Amino acid sequence: MSQRPVWAAGVCSGLYAAGSRDVVYVPDNPLSHVLAELGDQYADVRLMLATREEEAFGIAAGLYLGGRRPTVMLQSSGLGNSLNAITSLVLPYQIPMLIIVSMRGDAGEWNAAQVPMGRAVRTILDAIGIPHMTVATPDAAADAVRLIATTAFGTRQAGVCLLPRRVTTS
Amino acid sequence: MTRLEATRVVVEAAGDAPIVASLGHPAYDLFEAGDRPQNFYTWGSMGVASSIGLGLALARPDAQVFVIDGDGSLLMNLGSLATIGLLQPANLVLVVMDNEAYATTGGQPTPTAHGADLAAAARAMQVDAVTVGTDEELRRSLARAGGRGFQPSGPLVLVVKVTEATPRHWPPLDCVFIKQRFMTAIGNREAAIAPQPVHRPHR
Repeated sequence: MSQRPVWAAGVCSGLYAAGSRDVVYVPDNPLSHVLAELGDQYADVRLMLATREEEAFGIAAGLYLGGRRPTVMLQSSGLGNSLNAITSLVLPYQIPMLIIVSMRGDAGEWNAAQVPMGRAVRTILDAIGIPHMTVATPDAAADAVRLIATTAFGTRQAGVCLLPRRVTTS
Repeated sequence: MTRLEATRVVVEAAGDAPIVASLGHPAYDLFEAGDRPQNFYTWGSMGVASSIGLGLALARPDAQVFVIDGDGSLLMNLGSLATIGLLQPANLVLVVMDNEAYATTGGQPTPTAHGADLAAAARAMQVDAVTVGTDEELRRSLARAGGRGFQPSGPLVLVVKVTEATPRHWPPLDCVFIKQRFMTAIGNREAAIAPQPVHRPHR
């Protein structure tokens, strides 16, 4: 097995430590490391592929209603696809979940089509009132994910962990 | 058969099993057909009722999970059928109240009014599906997926051709109340008090 990036292993150990055993995702290139690590090292974590990010939030909400602690993983571009489910289901019903966002459109981006949403992600999260934390270094991922998830599930509010390209391409 | 009449049949078949309802008229009719704590009424997130039901079915394989969706809502999230087909939750019954219109917003026709076939779409995504038009057919289709002592037999999509009758009642508006009542009723009660640090008195 190839060595997985430190940040990806940290994301896995962080969400696991916070009690999440259910990950709903729409694929993303950096997140493929997380998915592979979860698949190899965390046999009791269930991975569920969604066709679109908004759907992933609906599935995660149902998992929570059923007593689970869900994680949603997506690329930042997918935040736009998710806003109606987030603002009219996740937030008003106070459904907690860990949301892990792999950033596009930030420093290091090469694709102009990714930049407007990437630039807007934090402003959008602030505007709708979801707390978010950006992982500063690869080593910081495990703690950041664990703490965001602990607060999310403890206080019944969604929490977002942003993974910048500077970290995910390290 | 009106949607309300069809909804009454679903509530009767569900017993004490959870029912997730799509926003607007499907949720209003569920409330009128029989308000019960095991009803999860959505007030927004058009399209994702089937996804909520999917997540719930995966989390609670011991429960038969019913979803009452609309044709317009399911069309907004058709990918959900592919995901249900992929994950094959044995305990999920997705009832699509197909009135061929966006009734909640004034009756604009949906593509199902022009031949779009949601049961065929479900089957194409590897989900067993039938279209029914009478309460007897609906009863018979639901019988194999009843609430109590159900025999999980794979996900099922029931497209119910219904007529529109404007609902007269609304479910509770408080979303957190709906959630907490629902979770308590299905055995996943949210703790009333967050875990507190243990207080250690000075010695």
